[in-house]
Amino acid sequence: MLSRSPDTDNAYPWTEKVLPTQLEAIREVEGDIMDRLAQVDYDEDLQFAIRLAFEEAVVNAMKHGNRMDPARKVLLTYRVSPECIEIRVRDEGEGFDPGCVPDPTIDENLQRPCGRGIMLMRSYMDTVQYACRGKEVQMVKFRRSGGGGTKP
Amino acid sequence: MPEEADVVQVTDRSGVKLVRIISSSILREGEVESFGRSLLALAEVPGQRVVLSFLGVQHLTSLVLGKLIHVHKRLAESGGELRLADIDPHIFEVFAITHLDKLFRIYEREDEASASFAAEAEG
Repeated sequence: MLSRSPDTDNAYPWTEKVLPTQLEAIREVEGDIMDRLAQVDYDEDLQFAIRLAFEEAVVNAMKHGNRMDPARKVLLTYRVSPECIEIRVRDEGEGFDPGCVPDPTIDENLQRPCGRGIMLMRSYMDTVQYACRGKEVQMVKFRRSGGGGTKP
Repeated sequence: MPEEADVVQVTDRSGVKLVRIISSSILREGEVESFGRSLLALAEVPGQRVVLSFLGVQHLTSLVLGKLIHVHKRLAESGGELRLADIDPHIFEVFAITHLDKLFRIYEREDEASASFAAEAEG
């Protein structure tokens, strides 16, 4: 795993990591993020929300973006400050149109086993945006907004 | 398979399978797949009634939700049913956000879920 902090002048620098396409690789980064959240006193609700959204974003990148191809990587960039956490996750897949993902909560889709990851990210984070034709998701969670998710 | 015994523990109470999740956070690919396989194995018995306890589970992802939906469908096809219990408030919120609290019957405690099956059998 390649790791570096490109913005060392900032009190809360960005951290960049390149992950192999293996779900097991998520845990180490997740541990780092959780440690930083605890250091700046994010409460349990916020930590749950951020952890869930982070995992959903990386799992989506690996499974749907990189299609679990071990030759492809996932680029993570994140920054934790007392005010907010910013996370960017980029895969090496073909991209997608997030507007075309069916709503998993309507009755006809309720029993579909997929499609809930993006919804959970939008519910638990304050902003979720896609760039690079869907290959990169950018999320922000403000500490003041609290940790609870919002129903669609 | 040894890894499946590490993910869930299955006991029988008057024909109802009580399943407890051992891992407090199911994320690893192997764990999620093992979790799904263990539950799907129960669905091979026609009419099987299953209570899945989330006691001690503090975190999950949509991968697990997908497995639960798969198992729910498979059990329903064979006349069985999956009911859930002991869900932490954070986890319950995930079910509510995704509207899966409408799909699954969710009970506060495992014994309540188990008793609900027994009551229906008697009724």
